[in-house]
Amino acid sequence: MGTNGAGKTTTLRAISGFLGIDDARVTEGAITFKGARIENRPPHENTRRGIVLVPERDKVFPNLTVAENLAAPVAPAAAAIERRRREALAYQFFPQLADLRHRVGGLLSGGERQMLALASGLVCEPELLLVDELSLGLAPVVVADLLRRLAEIRRQLGIAILVVEQSATVALEVADYAYVMENGRIVLDGTAERLRRHPDIQEFYLGRKSGERRSYREVKQYRRSRRWYG
Amino acid sequence: MQLIVNITVLAAIYALLACGYVLIYRVSRVMNMAHGELAMLGAYLLYTTASLFTDHPVGAIAAALVLSLTVGVLVYVALMRKMTGQMVLAAILTTIAIGILLRGVIVLIWSAAQQHPLQALKFSNPSIELIGGARISTCAALMVLATVAVYTALFVFLRFGRWGMRLRAAGQNPLLAAQRGINLNAIYALAWALSTLTGSIAGMLIALDSGLDQTMVVIGLKAFAPALVGGLDSLLGALVGAVIVASAEVLAIHYVDPLLSDVVPFLVLIAALIVRPWGLFGTREELDRV
Amino acid sequence: MSRSPRASGYFRTSYDQDLALVQTRLERTSLGVFIAALLAFPLIASPFQLDLACQVFLASIGALSLMLLTGYAGQISLGHAGLLAAGAFTVGILFRETNAPFWITLPAAAAVGGLLGIIFGLPSLRLRGLYLAVSTLALHFVVIYLGGEYEARRGFSTGIVVDPPKLGGVSITDARAWYFILLGAAAATLLVCLNLLRARTGRAWRALRTRETVAEALGIGVASYKLLAFVISSAVTAVAGALFAYYRGFVSVEAFSLFLTIQYLAMVIIGGMGSLLGALLGAIFVTLFPYIIEIGLLALPGAQRHASLLFAVNYAAFGLVMILFLMFEPLGLVGMWRRMQNYFLLWPFKHRRAGGSRG
Ligand SMILES: Nc1ncnc2c1ncn2[C@@H]1O[C@H](COP(=O)(O)OP(=O)(O)O)[C@@H](O)[C@H]1O
Ligand SMILES: [Mg+2]
Repeated sequence: MGTNGAGKTTTLRAISGFLGIDDARVTEGAITFKGARIENRPPHENTRRGIVLVPERDKVFPNLTVAENLAAPVAPAAAAIERRRREALAYQFFPQLADLRHRVGGLLSGGERQMLALASGLVCEPELLLVDELSLGLAPVVVADLLRRLAEIRRQLGIAILVVEQSATVALEVADYAYVMENGRIVLDGTAERLRRHPDIQEFYLGRKSGERRSYREVKQYRRSRRWYG
Repeated sequence: MQLIVNITVLAAIYALLACGYVLIYRVSRVMNMAHGELAMLGAYLLYTTASLFTDHPVGAIAAALVLSLTVGVLVYVALMRKMTGQMVLAAILTTIAIGILLRGVIVLIWSAAQQHPLQALKFSNPSIELIGGARISTCAALMVLATVAVYTALFVFLRFGRWGMRLRAAGQNPLLAAQRGINLNAIYALAWALSTLTGSIAGMLIALDSGLDQTMVVIGLKAFAPALVGGLDSLLGALVGAVIVASAEVLAIHYVDPLLSDVVPFLVLIAALIVRPWGLFGTREELDRV
Repeated sequence: MSRSPRASGYFRTSYDQDLALVQTRLERTSLGVFIAALLAFPLIASPFQLDLACQVFLASIGALSLMLLTGYAGQISLGHAGLLAAGAFTVGILFRETNAPFWITLPAAAAVGGLLGIIFGLPSLRLRGLYLAVSTLALHFVVIYLGGEYEARRGFSTGIVVDPPKLGGVSITDARAWYFILLGAAAATLLVCLNLLRARTGRAWRALRTRETVAEALGIGVASYKLLAFVISSAVTAVAGALFAYYRGFVSVEAFSLFLTIQYLAMVIIGGMGSLLGALLGAIFVTLFPYIIEIGLLALPGAQRHASLLFAVNYAAFGLVMILFLMFEPLGLVGMWRRMQNYFLLWPFKHRRAGGSRG
């Protein structure tokens, strides 16, 4: 979680190797995945390693049909049977897509498009699925539904899923662990359980005010305490 | 009747050249201005292999095809790879520069004199009488057949092949394609290879039919017209565009003035760009993304 | 009152200063020396060198006008040779048909160029990038076809001979006179460009090059500024073509092949996109390039055998140089020049000079 411009997308892009495409680089620190250093690797390599990003926008191929969208990814296990199984799995988690099989990606609604994006992400056989701005342009009901499905996917496939999500209520309900970002840094992290009860989260993300209106001084206090985390 | 045959042959030439433009444009949004030169290079490669394998015409043709594929990959890997993600202008200018370079190199290697790969292959090119008294040379007939074959193969490959699908995917959204594990460099190299191969086939057949010299570059430029008239990102469009442009050109030559041959394709092109800039079958939003 | 602290560089403190063409005393003196050298050059130069200089001036006019269009307004044009041809043919045709003097033919060439600019520019209202490039390419072929038609119909199949312009009854044939005429024309073009670019028009062009939709949103009439860029650039180009016709005394479509367009594009790239200085440097480089290649080639052993290959070597080397610049020095000669300048200006420090990016 984090406000606009906090660096969430940038973080996901760094992990998945997309910074390089914009001629940017990770200059400090390290990114390790299963013991290997992966910063500044090309994206298709990271995908084969098991890190799959569902980007914020432009997340489906607009002129390919749903079926083709699911067939396009290059997965590590190239065997046809395994592929078929993967695609079947995608349809199993997102059954609506089966009816839309021959519709082109560009004509899908926002929710359907997000489903297709998640499904074709699954075809890439992720071990870590990164989802940027799940709720971008979606109705809250749809978001809650998608989040629950992601939780189901994680339970069944045993993969890690990192979701950037604005609606903290549902996010903290389905997540195990959460990070709050600000100014390109993680300023707060902990189990979802703990963050749900954290007073700052309560006020600034869940919108619950404890008792009466707080004074400006206390807001500043919150800002300062957050900076200490970073 | 002869007119229809002439139109068909010219349309085949245009279609075979235009599909090269479409392939590269489709995946990388670059118009390859060196396509005519690459086609010419293919023809010269055939001339060389024909003189090397004097007794194996089939071997010579196969070797020339493999070489032209390699040239396509090399051009991408050595030169165009650095231009991906750059401004369209820079990429177009690079292809123009490649064209100039190739023109110079070809003259340096093969001289500017006209060559005849047909004789080098020891083929003959008798004309065939068709129903209605029209005539077509064997090489021209081969050209029509080759065009049909290439287009069928490309349609099948792009529609049903997994790599064809990835080629289309990379053209629509390169970032997402990279994210889905598709190696963009491999895709672009594939597109350049296929484009150079089809262009070279056209170049070889033109050279077999009517000799080989630097004028082939002009045919390459004229083939812009069908590619754009049909829509730069559509193979079907290139085919239809080729028929339209070839008809206009052949009819103008026949009924108006033979000198018009070099300008008619461009007149058709201008008319098409005014009426329907994105082409008959092209995708419209391409114009709005800058 | 205490003295203000000494400034550590040249800072502009008013808008007038920011707009001034010549800014510091150093700039003024070096400009003076440069102009003096240009004026003195004909006194010491050989006829061959004078001819080279004249070619450079002609190329500069064309390169400057293309730089306005492509480097500043961001419109790709592959029709430059067509426009030069249009100017040259206006002179040739008017001279042949009506025996018109240069003070009629030159404005006529500008008018034809401007008109063609509208025609070349109209597609730009609907088309961008590559489509625009191809439509201007198509127009190039149309212009060349019309020129060829005229030559063929009127029986000038090898070209049109144009007599040198007469001033007060005297024909201008002297190479020195031409040197000063073309120098003057190039300098005038440069001044016009500088003035256009530092005012509203230049800012509008830069805005629409960066992003058209945003420029439109900022209240810039994108369509009219685009057309304006085409009209001005084409009129100047046509005048360059007209001067070329007078200077050579001969007009023929052969001289205006697509390769000429490519040469002008190369001037813009090799010189450095978005810089008038770049256009000038590019014009010098591209004009002198074939002569350098020739000298290099003739210096090789067995030179006579290579002589027939000269044009091929020229093509190949030219293509190679263009590719090298596009790949390794997108800022062109100007980029190299600036880096060198900064290096000497600031040595041993490593900071960039502030705000000095005026072309
Ligand atoms: N760690 C960082 N280092 C440098 N720049 C960063 C960093 N994190 C974010 N930025 C910059 O901040 C801006 C906004 O980041 P972004 O990731 O798009 O925010 P969000 O997705 O959270 O809204 C970007 O321009 C990005 O370059
Ligand atoms: Mg974001």
